[in-house]
Amino acid sequence: MPKFLQATAAWRISIWTTVAFALGTALAFSIVYFLVANAIQDRSDAWLSGEAEVLARVSADTPRDHLYNRIIGEVAELATQELPDERNERGQRLNSVFFLESDPNNNASPLWVGPGSVDTFLKAIQQTKLVPGIPESIEVEGWPTTFRVVTRNENGRMIYLGLSGRGARHLLRTLTGRFLILWGSTVLMGFLISYMSAHRTLLRVQRITDTVARIGSEDLGERLPQPVNSDEISRLAKTFNHMLDRIQSSVNELRSVTDAVAHDLKSPLTSIRGALESVLSSEPSEKWRDSIGDAIEGVDRLLSALDTTLDVAEAQAGALRLDRSTVELSAAVKQLVDLYQPAMDERQHKLVVDLEDHVVVDADWGLLNRVLSNLIENEIAHLPVGCQITIRLRSREGSAMLVIEDNGPGFPPDISTRAFERFVRGKHSHGHGLGLAFVDAVVRAHGGTAKISGSPGGGAVVTLSLPAIVLHPA
Amino acid sequence: MRLLLVEDDVAIQGFLKRALVESGYQVDTANNARAGELKALEGIHDAFVIDLGLPDMDGLDLIVRCRAQGISAPVLILSARRSVDERVRGLEQGGDDYLTKPFALAELLARLRNLLRRSSAPQNDSVRLQAADLQLDLVRHEARRGDHLLQLTPQEFSLLEYLCRNAGRVVTRTMILDHVWRMQIDPATNVVDVHIYRLRSKVDHNSPTPLIHTIRGVGYVLKHA
Repeated sequence: MPKFLQATAAWRISIWTTVAFALGTALAFSIVYFLVANAIQDRSDAWLSGEAEVLARVSADTPRDHLYNRIIGEVAELATQELPDERNERGQRLNSVFFLESDPNNNASPLWVGPGSVDTFLKAIQQTKLVPGIPESIEVEGWPTTFRVVTRNENGRMIYLGLSGRGARHLLRTLTGRFLILWGSTVLMGFLISYMSAHRTLLRVQRITDTVARIGSEDLGERLPQPVNSDEISRLAKTFNHMLDRIQSSVNELRSVTDAVAHDLKSPLTSIRGALESVLSSEPSEKWRDSIGDAIEGVDRLLSALDTTLDVAEAQAGALRLDRSTVELSAAVKQLVDLYQPAMDERQHKLVVDLEDHVVVDADWGLLNRVLSNLIENEIAHLPVGCQITIRLRSREGSAMLVIEDNGPGFPPDISTRAFERFVRGKHSHGHGLGLAFVDAVVRAHGGTAKISGSPGGGAVVTLSLPAIVLHPA
Repeated sequence: MRLLLVEDDVAIQGFLKRALVESGYQVDTANNARAGELKALEGIHDAFVIDLGLPDMDGLDLIVRCRAQGISAPVLILSARRSVDERVRGLEQGGDDYLTKPFALAELLARLRNLLRRSSAPQNDSVRLQAADLQLDLVRHEARRGDHLLQLTPQEFSLLEYLCRNAGRVVTRTMILDHVWRMQIDPATNVVDVHIYRLRSKVDHNSPTPLIHTIRGVGYVLKHA
């Protein structure tokens, strides 16, 4: 079965309904078949009994002279032709009737009217225990079907009248053949109908899934089309719309809170910073210049921490606005490496860059730059002098994997499980503890994952995985 | 050059006005959008600096109204809002540049200069830059200090070119990252300073008069003495 079909519920639903349908109709047919076969047998038994009685009466009424055999033979012959004309497609008569009269006390040759030789039939009759008056099926050597035989005991003389089951078998075979054709086409049609209806129904679910996925990643203001009826799927759409309403209102609330916080804190900080800067531009004496510089740098650190906190809060709530474009990751990393190489040299770190080309992601370029610079700055800030840092980029099964590995002391054990939480930082770290929380939040907002681990040599490993855009080679 | 500054925060208005006046501009101020609109309609300003969060009207609406009445002077938007959409909307509705609070004065001044230069006759881009005894040939990517040819990497050359274009004016680390590396990041390490140290060691090496100066807390400036 092709994989894509296995994956659809429509396929599974229609397979199961078709199997149930096929089994049900097959069961119904076997009941009909059984009833028809019984009816045919009853009919032939009734006919055999009637004819056997007629023949027995004729036999009793006919004197035993030289004409006896001829008279009985002709009556039996007439009886065999009395049967409803059951012929096959080639016009051959299908019913074979035999008549046998024998006298076990008299060794005279039996009276035989019928096809083939008397001996094979006599042998078959003798092998079977026949009870007079009860129809029985016997098998005759050389004949494909059984014979239905009625026995009569006329004063010690045995009369056997037999009818081949060929006609009945032909009738039942025709019935079965027609049924199979009809059954096959009905089952196929049933399968198609149930597949189509399940597919149509599930297509609505698929549309909901697609729309919700798009809404989740782009515009929270969009809604699923208002359904006209009120079946289960329409209720699903309504539920999703309600949920989106709630998410949108909480996201909007968060945005207005972060905007308000940003505004209320930034305006005074802006004027402080501006005032300090204007003092600097009035060329104060040396001793003031340093203190004012320190003050400005402090304000800048405060502002940066504030901005990152708000960014992390928004990103974790799914309220970060992404300005997506196609980004070639190796180019983005190279650019950052260019920027940070001298700072690495300064700390005598060796930087090994191993980038696979043409790994493209749909991402916010500015945020991605901040994520990558955050990670590189972490390395610079926390590694002892003279370490090796490896940046590796690979594409794996539709994901872009970016690994930043060092041979330093690794993450302190007390924070390694919580490194992506806000304000978690190592004892000796001078950061505000927002860097990795920001990395994690932004990567998640892009539909990726960030994880930290230890390298075999004890160093720290940060692995980012982002959904990659599949490029078709031109 | 005459500017109109529309800003409701008195403290910010105060230091901005002082800084702009010091830089040689004539500055009119307004505390709200109504007053700002009235002053703007006099048509005597070469550029506007407009804050978005005004008490009586959104700064964007003020810009739209001014544009509708035929005011074409460039507008620099100031905003404390963080949203990217806000920036896009501001630029779509008639703003010419956008600066997020908090900002460095140096950056505000640089952006304002850019706007005013853009609105006046376009300057012909010269192929040579000169500051004191430093000469840059932008075509051959060569820099000379006096007679001495400097051995610079392409990155160092771009950095020096940016400092040289802004000779005598302070540039911040953010401005350097934005213009030389095209990156809007906020580094916590001294990554820009390392680049400057390296450049300085080549440019000011063995020279009695250093050209590249650090202004603590603000940024760098390339100037003579």
